[in-house]
Amino acid sequence: MRTRGVISTVGLALVVTAATAAASLAGTARQSATNLRGAGSSFVAPLVAQWQSNYKGASVDYNPIGSGGGIAAITARTVDFGASDAPLSKDEFAACKGCVQIPWALSATSIPYNLDLGRRLKLSGKVLAGIYLGQIKTWNDKRIQALNKGLKLPSTKITPVYRSDNSGTSYNFTDYLSSVNATWKSKIGVGTNAKWPAGIGAPKSNGVAAAVSQTKGAIGYVDVAYAIKNHLPFAAVQNAAGQYILPGNVGIKAAAATVSKVPSSNAISIVNPPSSQRSAYPICTFTYVILPLKTSKAADLRKFVFWALTNGQQYGPRLRFVPIPNKVLGASEKTLKRVHS
Amino acid sequence: MATTSPSLARAAELRRRGRFHPGDAALHGVTLVAALGAVALLALIAWKVVDQARPAMHRFGLHFLVSNTWDPGVHQVFGAAAFIFGTAVTSLGALLIAGPLSIAIALFLTELAPRWLRGPIGTLVEMLAAVPSVVVGLWGILVMGPFVANHLEPWLKHTFGFLPLFGGDPSIFGLLPAILVLTIMITPIVSSVSRELFLGVPQDLKEGALALGTTRWEMIRGVVLPYARSGIAAALILGLGRAVGEAIAVTQVIGGNVAIHWSLFRPGDTLASRIASQYQGATTKLQVGSIAYLATILLVFSLVANVVAQAIVRKVARRQPLIR
Amino acid sequence: MSALSANTDGLRRRRAVNRLMEAIATAAAFAAVVVLGIMVVSVARRGGAAIDLNLFTKTPHPFSFTNQPSGLANAFVGTAVIVGIATAMAVPVGVLSAIYLNEFARARVAFLIALALDVLNGVPAIVVGIFVFALIVVHHGQSALAGSFALSILMIPLIARATQEVLALVPQATREGSLALGVSRWRTTLGVVLPQTIGAIVTGTTLAVARVAGETAPLLFTSSIVGDRLQWNPHLALASVPLKIFEYSESPDPADHARAWAAALVLISFVLVASITARALAARSRRRMGLHR
Repeated sequence: MRTRGVISTVGLALVVTAATAAASLAGTARQSATNLRGAGSSFVAPLVAQWQSNYKGASVDYNPIGSGGGIAAITARTVDFGASDAPLSKDEFAACKGCVQIPWALSATSIPYNLDLGRRLKLSGKVLAGIYLGQIKTWNDKRIQALNKGLKLPSTKITPVYRSDNSGTSYNFTDYLSSVNATWKSKIGVGTNAKWPAGIGAPKSNGVAAAVSQTKGAIGYVDVAYAIKNHLPFAAVQNAAGQYILPGNVGIKAAAATVSKVPSSNAISIVNPPSSQRSAYPICTFTYVILPLKTSKAADLRKFVFWALTNGQQYGPRLRFVPIPNKVLGASEKTLKRVHS
Repeated sequence: MATTSPSLARAAELRRRGRFHPGDAALHGVTLVAALGAVALLALIAWKVVDQARPAMHRFGLHFLVSNTWDPGVHQVFGAAAFIFGTAVTSLGALLIAGPLSIAIALFLTELAPRWLRGPIGTLVEMLAAVPSVVVGLWGILVMGPFVANHLEPWLKHTFGFLPLFGGDPSIFGLLPAILVLTIMITPIVSSVSRELFLGVPQDLKEGALALGTTRWEMIRGVVLPYARSGIAAALILGLGRAVGEAIAVTQVIGGNVAIHWSLFRPGDTLASRIASQYQGATTKLQVGSIAYLATILLVFSLVANVVAQAIVRKVARRQPLIR
Repeated sequence: MSALSANTDGLRRRRAVNRLMEAIATAAAFAAVVVLGIMVVSVARRGGAAIDLNLFTKTPHPFSFTNQPSGLANAFVGTAVIVGIATAMAVPVGVLSAIYLNEFARARVAFLIALALDVLNGVPAIVVGIFVFALIVVHHGQSALAGSFALSILMIPLIARATQEVLALVPQATREGSLALGVSRWRTTLGVVLPQTIGAIVTGTTLAVARVAGETAPLLFTSSIVGDRLQWNPHLALASVPLKIFEYSESPDPADHARAWAAALVLISFVLVASITARALAARSRRRMGLHR
């Protein structure tokens, strides 16, 4: 009878659904053993990728949705750890309800550009601020030409590219611009996102690298690992000592050497180091892992982050991540011990 | 269509005679729950999105709609004007191109094409609807973008550069690529609805006009189009609703800029695209609320457009007997 | 004579206008076909060049120094799980709603429910994503289940409409005959009416699956924080093909672009084959039910 046909079809469907559900629940049991989920900074993603393949104590998933996303995700506890290049603000600490930030990697923000010049471009903080304020509009502006004697700059329009999402790299870059340009500091300020007066926005480090490589005359700011991976030429930036420095391991190490005391919040800013550091690159930053103080996965997280702070640092230099200096390592380890279940 | 009274009366009679099955009530109950659930979902969506937007609505009120600022930095001031402008320009621009194009396609398929060609071409146009928006966006960034930046926009600037619409520098991101991508996405919808409408025009009206000596185009202009006028309006509104709600393909090509300017070559942003690019990274309640406020505006608009289009479609369907 | 010649001139002009309009309409149709053709050819050419077995068997390895072969196995598995669960959620609700709409509801209620379903169909996918994020993800984190729920919201109106349309076509005489024989209402509906509509339900479901398999926006907030590992646990966020295409489309790396084209080719093939199959099935069952277009 027809009814039997319908009932048997429905019954079969229920059996299949039940079987799928059972299989997935079994999968749950097997897979939730040691799985750490993290999200956040795309700046540190290249290094985390190395950690993911080399750390054997747990399976680590990481999604580079940007520092803002990482802070939002860990605040909502939708992930086990967040990653951000921007230190948490007071409001963000309050919203996170008992989180700590731990500096676990150190690198630099490069300034890639899309021009055929034959020689490397030299820029200064004042010029960078002028470009991003929209005051310097073409490449052959005399202010840029003054820094690049002997290099014929074209009359191409400058297209500054900025991060459209909430980005720790933006925080680092605006931190630097605020310290070298008073107009920027008062009008725009420091932040993971800003009211960018000029240029086009692109999401994530990938997006900025893509936008710069596809637009003639574009300039952007992006983690140096991305610039290298995508073969983008980047500028030599003038530091406080007047030297033009590249974002290499030497320049980053010199910038980090200025850290004397780590504040209790672990928030360290190393942009625009003083002129005593002659070979320092002026746009460097630490990047942080954000952990809840109380979490059921405390033991696994402590093991992973400790490994990242120590053994994990060896995978950095190839990607222009310099091992964190001992002073900072001590503070990081001390903070890490506070994470408990 | 609901069952007619004979069956209900019959069931009532059976019930009176004591042949009432609890199974009937069970089925009635289960299906009622399902149907109400679907309707409740709509209300729940509206409520939840507005609820998320509350912090921003409290802070900015209706001024949000005209304020052209998006400062997630220290100052935390948000406004939707740039995105409303971007949405309006891209959606209306797409409709301006896709509308006549789709109607022309529908006319071709119903009046002009030889019978053996109608099936294949009709299927091809519908396949355009089946292409996922992320694939259209992928093609938009990597294939259409460079073409627009290197050929289309320079030509437009060269020929029509005196118009502020085509001032500015050619770039692969901008309002124009977004308009083109949206045109591709809404053409299938508008043309398939139009096609249904034109198929519903009574044959004798058309043949009568032709018998009077009109050319085919005059027949179309005088009989088919006026007859289908309100239906075409519904089709256009449906297309507009789809264009306004498209987030992914647009965000891939539009450039994510918060600005209001006349040049189509410059990057901008739309409501849906801004939601897609910002939502996950928003940290403060105010920023999340502002993005939800954008979603509320989007939802209000698409609900209104949808209800109006559906009302017109139902009115037209009542007028025409269903020919299937 | 002059009247005749004036007539001929007017006729010539009118015929010219007619020809012009016909040419424009034909050009429009071919323009649409050409654009579709260019898109599909782009995807086919670039995707075809990049497609290989690795795409289905290996997982992604970004930033790998050893140039490991990588693919999108986790995304294909993830999409299968998410769409599968979404279908399991949407079919019962859609079919049962349509049964209520057609068999039980009074005219006014039926009108309102049908209107609500059609309006639900027009809610932008990104708003659905925000809704599910606010409802589920904020409290329980991302998961494939949340993503499936979001996709099912998009599927329900399509399945309900397809079911309802064919339920309305089942002759009233069938129902009345069954009831007259003393069969109860629920058995009539499930045992006599519904079996005749199974074909249309399958068609409607296939079309709904084809639509949501390529949806990106709802998954952006519900199942996007994913690892590169092969996983199928629906309590975790799983990778999905449209999101991976989205991610790779914004990357500057040509290798990522190649993978995006290959994934797009697979996705577009699946969606097109499903749509064509569904429509062919629908045409066949319509013919069988004795209705012609």
